Amino acid sequence: MFMAIIEVKKLSKTFKVKIKDKGLKGSLKSIIKPKYKTVKAVKNISFAVERGEIIAFIGPNGAGKSTTIKMMTSILYPDKGTIRVLGYDPTKDRKKLSYEIGTVFGQKEQLWTHLTPYDNFKFFGAIYDIPEPVVEKKIEELKMLFELDEFINTPVRNLSLGQRIRCEIVASLIHEPKVLFLDEPTIGLDPVVKENIRTLIKRMNKEYKTTIFLTSHDVGDIEKLCKRVIIINDGQLVLDDTMENLKYHYLNKKIVEAKMKERVNLDDEDGITIIKDKGYNLKIEVDTTKRSVADALKLLNPDNIIDINISNIPLEDIISDIYKSKDL
Amino acid sequence: MLTEVKNQWKVTRLSIQYALVRELLNKATFLSNIFFMILNDSCMIVQWIVLFSIKNNMGGYTFKQVLLLWGMAAGTYGVSRFFFKKSFNLSETINSGKLDAYIVQPKNILLSTITSDIEIAALGDILFALIVYFIYGFNMRTFLLYLFFCITGGVMITAIAIILNSLSFWFNNADMIADVGIRLIESFATYPDGIFKGITKWLLFTIIPIGITNYIPIKVLIEFNPYLLIINICVCLLLMILAYTIFSKGLKKYSSSNLMSARI
Repeated sequence: MFMAIIEVKKLSKTFKVKIKDKGLKGSLKSIIKPKYKTVKAVKNISFAVERGEIIAFIGPNGAGKSTTIKMMTSILYPDKGTIRVLGYDPTKDRKKLSYEIGTVFGQKEQLWTHLTPYDNFKFFGAIYDIPEPVVEKKIEELKMLFELDEFINTPVRNLSLGQRIRCEIVASLIHEPKVLFLDEPTIGLDPVVKENIRTLIKRMNKEYKTTIFLTSHDVGDIEKLCKRVIIINDGQLVLDDTMENLKYHYLNKKIVEAKMKERVNLDDEDGITIIKDKGYNLKIEVDTTKRSVADALKLLNPDNIIDINISNIPLEDIISDIYKSKDL
Repeated sequence: MLTEVKNQWKVTRLSIQYALVRELLNKATFLSNIFFMILNDSCMIVQWIVLFSIKNNMGGYTFKQVLLLWGMAAGTYGVSRFFFKKSFNLSETINSGKLDAYIVQPKNILLSTITSDIEIAALGDILFALIVYFIYGFNMRTFLLYLFFCITGGVMITAIAIILNSLSFWFNNADMIADVGIRLIESFATYPDGIFKGITKWLLFTIIPIGITNYIPIKVLIEFNPYLLIINICVCLLLMILAYTIFSKGLKKYSSSNLMSARI
């Protein structure tokens, strides 16, 4: 029996934003008679996360991802709804909750740049009231796991972005949090470093059974790390499903790439969309709700096929479609 | 409770220590900042030397007492700017969403935020305050009182800075209000209270409480008065509570931000 480690029920958050007309006149007018509009950042969302899960919490810019994470980590107060993280209410038990969770905001640096990662980790140890010998042991352990040996004594300002993000994650793990919130941890990193960070996150989840709540615009992060995905758009929860379901059942589309002996005309075939037709090289999308893949292959004629590749529609396309669809 | 205080103190101490490490990376800048601040404070005394060459008494103060008033102003300013630098730009911390880093830590948000940086030049003010006291005349009892008042005054100015800057939780551009408020306090801090009359004097003991932070301590140092000492302590406690309450109330209005930032 799994236990929900995060429970969010009917959560809502609105912001009051000042609006003003163009130019100096507009600015003066807004001083005398300020106008405000209410922006509903999060609208009545509910979900639960179980212990040890790696959840992708995704959505386009301004969808309400960061606002939701900030409410779960005590940074923002919700207007409506309830949140329980490890049984704690973030609005009332901020200190208790802080001992149990870790946060990494890719866009915001928590480390002192003039200090070495080692000194930073010691500082974080003090913040979480960890005795010196325990901190030393933990630093040693995380140094091995995150391969920090080469630069643990180099000031943070001299580290590359990838090294810095690794240190940010280690700093957030010093107190052995049960839940780690990662808000775009791979932002601005090159593909090799991204892959490295993903491997480390996976290893950390396996070693410490840390529950990971991840937001990212990088489909690679989501695909390679998460088994479950929650999609939020315009403040509303639009999908909460396993990655498998999302990939194989949600849009029911397959990509077929074939190298043909002879040209085939599939222009008017129902359930088939031609993506690319370069004579003998054909790329089509098969809608399996209208036509099976086997049917599509029959149309191509197996004897006419030199080489074939059948793949799922890229996750990126699926997610883009979900973002674009407002009627979900 | 005691352990919590001890742990908070450890983090505060480390925070100041690490900020000092950063400043010491450039020794020339570190030392020149302190030196020029002492020089700056000393230059201001010149105008009083000129004034006292014309008249022996200014608003009931002798030259040495004015000197002591300057020392007290520099001491209170120095304590607040050195130990609690961030309380003076708390508005920027609130508006840019930099409070996030302190909220997710299991420590007192306000204390962690305001002690997260130091102003080296303020060390010059503290040194100037000590030099001035020794010129005034050393006496162990007044020396301890002088140090005590520098601390209570520093805490009161910090509390006022927190109150004014916390308005940023509710209003845009509250940093301008805070700047004006703090400048007002600093401007009045070095003038003898005897030159002010009527409503101005009333303001200096209420809305702009420079009377409590500076004038009362000088009166106690010149002639000990336990009632004035108690008033100083009570107002200090009151302002601390008020600052903490306003900041805590404002925190519920905090809207964070997604601006990119670094801790430097």
